[in-house]
Order: sequence, then C-alpha cells, then structure tokens
Amino acid sequence: MTDEAQAAPIDVNDPRRQTLALGIGIAGWLVPGLGHALQKMWGRAIACCLTVAALVFVGAGMRGNLFTSEGGDAFATLGYVADLGAGSFYFVAKSLETNGPDVSRADGDYGTRFLAAAGVLNLLAALHAYEAARGRKA
Amino acid sequence: MSVHFSHFQAMLLFSLVISVSFGFLSRRPPMERLKYILWSLGLFLLIGIGIGWMMYPFSR
Repeated sequence: MTDEAQAAPIDVNDPRRQTLALGIGIAGWLVPGLGHALQKMWGRAIACCLTVAALVFVGAGMRGNLFTSEGGDAFATLGYVADLGAGSFYFVAKSLETNGPDVSRADGDYGTRFLAAAGVLNLLAALHAYEAARGRKA
Repeated sequence: MSVHFSHFQAMLLFSLVISVSFGFLSRRPPMERLKYILWSLGLFLLIGIGIGWMMYPFSR
C-alpha cells in the first residue's frame, strides 16, 4: 500500500481549513514565499522569494516605472495591480528607486516589465500556496 | 542603484527567473523540475529570438 493510500482523507470544504488556507494565501502575497514556508515547502518558498526579489531588484535597478494608485487610465490601473502583486516588495522597489523611473531608454522599459512580472509571479505563487493549503495541490 | 543589460541579457535573465519559478511551482521531483526548467528556458529563448528575427524585415 502506498503512502497516499494510507493518508487520512482531506476534507477540502472544512471551514477551518478554508480560513487557514486564506490566511496562508494572504501571507504568501504579503511576503513572497511565506505561504509555502508556512506549509514547510522550503524549496518552493526559497524559489518564490528569490525569483520575486531578483525581478524587483533588477526592475528597480533598471529604473522601471512603478505604477501608483493615481494612474490616469485602465493600463496604469492594471500596471498598479500587477506591481502591487509583489506585496511588501512593492515598497522595497519604491525605496530602491530613489531617482525615479526612466522609461526613455530600453532599460527602463524592461524594468517596468520586470516589476510587473514580479507582482504577477508572486500572485501565482500565493494562489498556489492557497490551493496547496486547501489540499487541492501537492 | 543602476543596472544596465543588453536586450539579450535582459531576456535571458527574465527567461531564467520565470522558468525556475514555474519549475518549482509545477513539479515536485528534483529531476522533473530540472527538466521542466531547462525545457521552459529553451522555449523562452527560442521563441524570443524567433520573434525577434521575424520582426527584422520590418525594423528598417
């Protein structure tokens, strides 16, 4: 008999489990990798934290545009949502960009994409941590 | 803090970081992860360079 067959069945609809999973998802969003670390998925936690951190540091170093809530159009709002996906790292990026964005060069344009990708990647990781906590993913 | 990359270096770094992240999130056994990361990285680079060459005739 395999380990999977011996494991106790998981009730994915258990309200306590749902609440815990939601907390883990939010923790994973706020601090990249924390959602997986709380579930002792160390490899995934380190990978998520390092990849999001790398994208944020390089994106801010390339002077990418970090969108704010005062965007004038739908694209700026979408950019803000993507950037905010990095959780606390959004504010790290903001503190690193002391000279402000410069999208007049290709570097700045790439930096904008790096920052948005960091946010979206962290949202994906947080969603994965949430689903794993619910017992739907290994 | 100021970082400068060429177009290829930026694409390479982006591809590597995204591939590693996808590999860790979607696969669990280490060998499966490594295979997925290399496969994804290769596809990122191949498709990126391919699209770059496809745009070449319209760049001038």
